[in-house]
Amino acid sequence: MKLLSAISATLLLGALPFFTSSNYVIGVAISACIFTTAAAALNLVYGYTGLLSFAQLGFWGIGGYATALTVMTFGGSFWLGLVWAALIDTAIALAIGYPAVRTNRHAFVIVTLAFALLVTLVARDWVSLTRGPLGIPGLPAPNLFGFEFKTTPLFYWIAYGYALLALGLLYALCTSRIGRTLVAIKQNEPLVRAQGISPVPYKLAAFAVGAAITGVGGGIYAFHLKIIDPLFLDFYYMQTFLIIVITGGAGSYWGVIAAGLIMSTLPEVLRFSADFRMIVYGVVLLLAVFAMPGGVGGWLHERRLARARAGLI
Amino acid sequence: MEVDATYLAQLTANGIILGLLYALIAVGLALIFGVLEIINFAHGELLMIGAYAMTFMLPAVGLLYWPSLAVATAVVALCGLLMYELFLSRLRPGEFERSILVTLALSIIILHVVQYAFSASPRIVDTQYGFDGWTIGAIRVTWTRIVGSGVALVAFVFLYVVLKHTRFGRAMRAVAQNREAALMVGVEPKVVARNAVALAAALCGMAGAALAPIQLVSPIMGQALIFKAFALIIIGGLGNVPGVIAAAVGLGLMESWVGGFFEIVWQETAVFVVMIAVLLLRPDGLFKQGTMRVG
Repeated sequence: MKLLSAISATLLLGALPFFTSSNYVIGVAISACIFTTAAAALNLVYGYTGLLSFAQLGFWGIGGYATALTVMTFGGSFWLGLVWAALIDTAIALAIGYPAVRTNRHAFVIVTLAFALLVTLVARDWVSLTRGPLGIPGLPAPNLFGFEFKTTPLFYWIAYGYALLALGLLYALCTSRIGRTLVAIKQNEPLVRAQGISPVPYKLAAFAVGAAITGVGGGIYAFHLKIIDPLFLDFYYMQTFLIIVITGGAGSYWGVIAAGLIMSTLPEVLRFSADFRMIVYGVVLLLAVFAMPGGVGGWLHERRLARARAGLI
Repeated sequence: MEVDATYLAQLTANGIILGLLYALIAVGLALIFGVLEIINFAHGELLMIGAYAMTFMLPAVGLLYWPSLAVATAVVALCGLLMYELFLSRLRPGEFERSILVTLALSIIILHVVQYAFSASPRIVDTQYGFDGWTIGAIRVTWTRIVGSGVALVAFVFLYVVLKHTRFGRAMRAVAQNREAALMVGVEPKVVARNAVALAAALCGMAGAALAPIQLVSPIMGQALIFKAFALIIIGGLGNVPGVIAAAVGLGLMESWVGGFFEIVWQETAVFVVMIAVLLLRPDGLFKQGTMRVG
């Protein structure tokens, strides 16, 4: 059932450019692919490992800037830029993660939030590298062996391919022995230690993998927008990733993906003005926290349990 | 590099004043964390409400500083009370992630409602003190800064007396140190939590009102300042009130010096680097972590 709906959704999304030629619809689909992937990366860090990380926003921005600067300033290709995005984000994640994961989870949240805010300030103030508030406009279309991804439908294949790749990798990771260890760390860290497993390398690895996946997503998204400026680090993105994970149910792989596809198209439907959109988002977050603490995934799980109980009688 | 003594003295004076105001913001965060174990992400927005209340009160009372400050403080204390009664009181202890999401959602809603209602453009605030300053030798400090840091100092003394010598404050410390034991001797955690949030909000509103004439008032002013307040409560040790004040003055000084001699990007980065270094060397903060202490 799950597999069937996953396969049909994959095929349906893959065939999207054949159904519509509207650049707007395909643009929304690109956002859906990238946001879902970034949210799934946050789910690995927060949902599975239990580390609420706001640093994802920083990694997103650094990935975007690294890719854009590789192409525009250092004359590399888009693909090389993505590799740099992943490498730089991994390195930074390890550097910040090492002191941060050893503290308590309260401190972890604050450190990652401070990091995200810092990246925004640096993007704005380090004018000689990032060109400050003016940003870097006119990012060119990616080019693979002479083939140019110059239209929106063609660019969609990059976003779609990356989403499949990253989500596949995350699926493999989450269902493996490592994924189960991460869940164990979230649920009972002293027990994990008692089993002779040191939680620090696992937490660091999850944090770094989440950072790299988010960074590459940011790089692709920057080239979709064709411009990068400090607004790329707007808290709106972090908010989106977090709402997707919360409404989908932290720690539920398919719940988060379903929520990602829905929540990234919903704001487009509800779009009156930029200010209202954020207010609606805030209210949705509040409602989700109070009404559905477990998210969609938690709600489905409860329902399944209830059905199993009813079957017993 | 040639260092001019006057310039250094000027930077030092500015740094101390800035640090005292940072401390006023961060103390509220530490108080809320100590009593409720919640990190209030909407704290920056409370600050911003205080600054806006000051902005709108000043013309109404003919630019008089003190009545406006009192009203702004009261308004924000009331906002804190509402925030607790409507949202925070519904959270059970130990629901750390939910508390973050709730305060984060409130922060986003307040920020964008204010932006929608009063536009995002920054405002300059004039008071009875105008933009005149006090000159000692070659250093010149504006009156609004001097009064602002005076307000902060008085607030710290007040906070010390409240926490140390009143039932109201002792109950807060009791809950912060041992929730169960406090419950056993008849301290009601909900009432104490409500008081703590209102007190923290009042301090934060006062900081916002004092900052309004010193810097530009805009909806995003809270976001920029709260980043430093978060770093401060990490450096000072979570829930440690005097530690936070000491860290804040140190940070204000450092920021002023770094900003005076290097490019502006280093000013922001330095704060973060210090925080990471402190975490690496002393994961519990610079000052011994413990339950809420005042002396």
